[in-house]
Amino acid sequence: MKTELERVEPRPARRRFLQGAAALASTLIAPGVLLYISSHATETATKSPRWGLLIDTNAMSEADVDACVQACKREHGWQSRAGSKTDAQWIRKVGLSDPQSGHRRFLPMMCQHCENPPCVDVCPTGASFKRADGIVLVNRHICIGCRYCMMACPYKARSFIHEPLQDQLPVAPRGKGTVESCTLCVHRIDRDGADAVPACAEAVNQGGRSAIVFGDLNDSDSEIVKRLRKHGGTKLRADMGLNPALRYQGL
Amino acid sequence: MSKSLHPLPILMIALLVWLSCTVSAADEVASSGFGSVAIPRPAKPDNASECVEPVEVMRREHMKFLLHQRDATVLEGERDSKYSLTGCMDCHNPARNDGQVVRYPDPRHFCADCHRYASVKIDCFECHADRGLSRSQQSRLIPELNTGLVSSQTFHRQLERSGED
Repeated sequence: MKTELERVEPRPARRRFLQGAAALASTLIAPGVLLYISSHATETATKSPRWGLLIDTNAMSEADVDACVQACKREHGWQSRAGSKTDAQWIRKVGLSDPQSGHRRFLPMMCQHCENPPCVDVCPTGASFKRADGIVLVNRHICIGCRYCMMACPYKARSFIHEPLQDQLPVAPRGKGTVESCTLCVHRIDRDGADAVPACAEAVNQGGRSAIVFGDLNDSDSEIVKRLRKHGGTKLRADMGLNPALRYQGL
Repeated sequence: MSKSLHPLPILMIALLVWLSCTVSAADEVASSGFGSVAIPRPAKPDNASECVEPVEVMRREHMKFLLHQRDATVLEGERDSKYSLTGCMDCHNPARNDGQVVRYPDPRHFCADCHRYASVKIDCFECHADRGLSRSQQSRLIPELNTGLVSSQTFHRQLERSGED
């Protein structure tokens, strides 16, 4: 299935302000007092999808998170030596523990595919960009390897390739001097559309489980939106207002 | 006035003979003041009879097709175009029958063959896969497919399955 995509507006904040201004219906209820009614909420449902993941940490063991990482490595052909701070890291395992109860929890951490991505704001060449369907990518053809985006990302989701590579996989071009991160398995999404299953989700959703759900956050009938409506989901560092497309349950 | 042969037709015939000789020689070797270089004859794929465009067009325009396609793919997610680099490497797969891996720096590589001749330096293959997947890789992971080359997409699905075992 081919997704219809639109050009991304380079200055979303300004555009939203202008749209918001247009969408406000004002009524004069008293001299100097205006009642504003915003129709913004009805406009958020658009034709364009916004792909996201719902990660249910209640359903995931430490081994499941490891399986996610392994699946991502196999899918995209990256490796990471233990203890190395400079190796590729598209996805990593994060452990949380409560010292009082001793409760431990593990979650996969990767690019959160923000609606307002700081990595895109800081990129001097426009290499770091957000596709019309919400996937945040690096256009390695114009990335100069300055690594501003790595510093801007609050999730530490990006890594830099320091050494020349060979034998890359056809679906995942990677090369020295450029920054890379989770692509939400964009090659699968472009091929399968809403039926796509990212490699990490495929690895943990064995045997009828659905610990990681992929879907369109703009489609009210999609599985991911239904589950979010029923059980809610946490945006990591929601206080920063980045509105990530990855949502976690059980944190 | 004697009826001797006019020199012009003789000269023209001689010129034609000389020209035909040089043209046939140029099929094999290009000569210059610095010596001669064999003209590249990159191998044709054995799984396809024709390219996405006529050979003459591809020789001159393939870089424009690829440059346009790279932006369409990265920015807009268009991956099923006939001008994809992955598509090139699937057909013009430089993996050899003996299982030897032929990477881009090797002059036997399909792209490197002409690029060396024309003194063209590209950096596509510093990031992109420089071949469809080699027979040796395939035979290691998927013995039943050892008999022929498969497309990278097919290979990838096989790779996923073999990883699950």
